[in-house]
Amino acid sequence: MTEPIIHIDHVTKSYGSFTVLKDLCFSVMPGEKLALIGPSGSGKTTILRTLMTLERIDSGVIRVDGDYLFHMERNGRLVPADEAHLHRMRAKIGMVFQLFNLFPHKTVLENVTLAPMLTKGVRKADAQRRAMELLEMVGMAGKANSMPAALSGGQKQRVAIARALALQPRIMLFDEVTSALDPELVEEVLNVMRMLGTQTDMTMLLVTHEMSFAHDFADRVLFFDRGRIVEEGPPGDIFTNPRNERTQTFLKKIIAAGQRI
Amino acid sequence: MEWDWAFVREIMPTLLDGLKITVLATVLGSALAAVVGLAFALLRRSPNRLVSRITAFLVEFIRGTPLLVQLYFLFYVLPGAGILLSPLTAGVIGLGVHYATYMAEVFRAGIDNTPRGQWEAAKACNLTAVQTWQHIILPQAIPPMIPALANYFVAMFKETPLLSAITVVELMSQARSVANFNYRYLEPMTLVGVLFLAISLIAVPALHLLERRFRRYR
Repeated sequence: MTEPIIHIDHVTKSYGSFTVLKDLCFSVMPGEKLALIGPSGSGKTTILRTLMTLERIDSGVIRVDGDYLFHMERNGRLVPADEAHLHRMRAKIGMVFQLFNLFPHKTVLENVTLAPMLTKGVRKADAQRRAMELLEMVGMAGKANSMPAALSGGQKQRVAIARALALQPRIMLFDEVTSALDPELVEEVLNVMRMLGTQTDMTMLLVTHEMSFAHDFADRVLFFDRGRIVEEGPPGDIFTNPRNERTQTFLKKIIAAGQRI
Repeated sequence: MEWDWAFVREIMPTLLDGLKITVLATVLGSALAAVVGLAFALLRRSPNRLVSRITAFLVEFIRGTPLLVQLYFLFYVLPGAGILLSPLTAGVIGLGVHYATYMAEVFRAGIDNTPRGQWEAAKACNLTAVQTWQHIILPQAIPPMIPALANYFVAMFKETPLLSAITVVELMSQARSVANFNYRYLEPMTLVGVLFLAISLIAVPALHLLERRFRRYR
């Protein structure tokens, strides 16, 4: 029996009086493709941001790949993690953002080589060779020397995926990566993700509003509402036969908005 | 009152000597102001409350007192505490630290204008804090600041006559001494004005060119 690669145990987080995550518990198995869906403000993005250590948690414990994320053991007691520990933990995780967040002052190639060179001491020539392979894979090798400002949204997002892959994370987080794209550019990004899903054994967590993609891509779907998981299961069950009333309402609204599931 | 070209030719070498010191003091002073200003801006953002408070107080204090008073302190008061500075050194430090407090505000605004997503992407790329500043934040924040920094550069340049108060023989003090010696003020003071104007007129477009070079990604 393999251990979960992510284990979230009674995690709570609030912004002031607003509780975004309420006593949240779930696990993710290595290689699992997980779709997080739900209305906005339900906490699904917050949990990704928390895993990337962009947000702290108020209480509870998160374990990633056998280690505590925000804690470390010292003399048999759990103490808050120091920066060195967080740095080690971040190396296991990559993230792709809704608004791409490419480094605008660096070329496409430099965006992909920067982190491996700085954080792993990879030599420039090796980093570039590896970056070109990744850019080839996402169909962006032809733009290696372009600046991000010269790219379309879909192209930017594919570069951002290559940048995250360059650090060879075990877990990839995709935070609404197609939400900021023009409709005709969505598919090129989803195609890259499909390819990653079939050709790698990375654990992938995605927050998405693309229900038909979640349906085809995910092994398991978590439906979030008000900081809790109200329903989870294989996409076939959640999308075609939701049991929870709030899941049903949410999916009805999505269908009414014109999405195919 | 008649313009005397022969007198102009006679005093020009002396004035140009003074101009060299003026330009030197400005260049060294602004380099110091940029470095110290950036340090002030970074220290003010320190997560350590005490550090950021002390920096904020120091910046307020330096900005709220006249440069001339600070120059007198550096040059005439500090020797009493055993710290002896040459006139030019005291002048460069005074000018540099005074303007650093203004430049710190420019740096602060530039840094705050860098989108939050850049910090987050740097973290997701597992860069350390120092790497994030060096490779991501400052290279984006500094180019847009150059026009504002250029204004302070020109302002500093025009403030250098204050250094004559602590016996730096810059352009203004050279002009004053030839004027006093010859009882003729028209030519020396006019030339001082013209020389300052000429340098300012050259410096401003040069700094804008610098800005455009740095902003290749826009």
